[in-house]
Amino acid sequence: MRLFAVWLALSAITLTQLGVGSADGGDVLVPNAAITVGAIGIALVKVRIILREFMEVRHAPVLLGRLTDLWVVLAGVSLLGCYFAGMA
Amino acid sequence: MKEARETAAAARFVPGQPDMWAFVLFEALVFTAYFTVYVVCRTRNLELFLQSQAHLDLRVGVFHTLVLLASSWSVARCVQAARERSYEAALRHAYLTVLFGSVFLVSKVLEWAAKLRQGFGFTTDEFFSFYYFLTAIHFLHLLIGFVALGIAIHQLRSPLRRSQETVETCATYWHTIDFLWVLIFALLYVMR
Repeated sequence: MRLFAVWLALSAITLTQLGVGSADGGDVLVPNAAITVGAIGIALVKVRIILREFMEVRHAPVLLGRLTDLWVVLAGVSLLGCYFAGMA
Repeated sequence: MKEARETAAAARFVPGQPDMWAFVLFEALVFTAYFTVYVVCRTRNLELFLQSQAHLDLRVGVFHTLVLLASSWSVARCVQAARERSYEAALRHAYLTVLFGSVFLVSKVLEWAAKLRQGFGFTTDEFFSFYYFLTAIHFLHLLIGFVALGIAIHQLRSPLRRSQETVETCATYWHTIDFLWVLIFALLYVMR
């Protein structure tokens, strides 16, 4: 039941990305930092949920949880850092 | 208090083989490098990337994501059922995962075919080079994922071969395909 609830939550979050990705009309795309932060932020939240719930990291030794969290943070800093550095 | 902490620590387990987790973390870092290079190139030529991105259908990307999330759910259910020794249910969920994976595979090929028909190939521009590179390398991982599912199914079918650790290892690999796609989807279809 918990796994089904997790899948439902992940699917619902994915559908919000449809809204995020269409927030500017979607026909002619223009640079938009809010959409970018929303897209990458939501994706990383989903990745962390997949790791903790589907991949059972929440039951794993603390070290594995810290390593996966560290990677999620590293990916976020790297992607958003390069995006904002490039836009500056 | 200390005893309770020690009991909780002892109850914790690594799902599947630790080697697979080392591989997962390695793959995650390699893909992070690909994604970072993509973002850097994108910000250098933003107008071109946005123009080309407009030719992708966001709804197709959402569909692919929903299908892979469903496959992750079914393989997680497979692991859970195998742990409870409900091997028939575990097999059903393993086959369901193959079905979801196949839907993604066919849908991705159809998307590539549609883009090629519209004249957007690997060499069209920098955005489409990244689009084909990232989706193709992910596709390759998906094909290896089918081999992993085949191993899990082969093990679950006979009481003589069943190994919970192997089923968990195969599932861990499959989930990796899912979470890498979640990031690819955000970067290729949604970000601006």
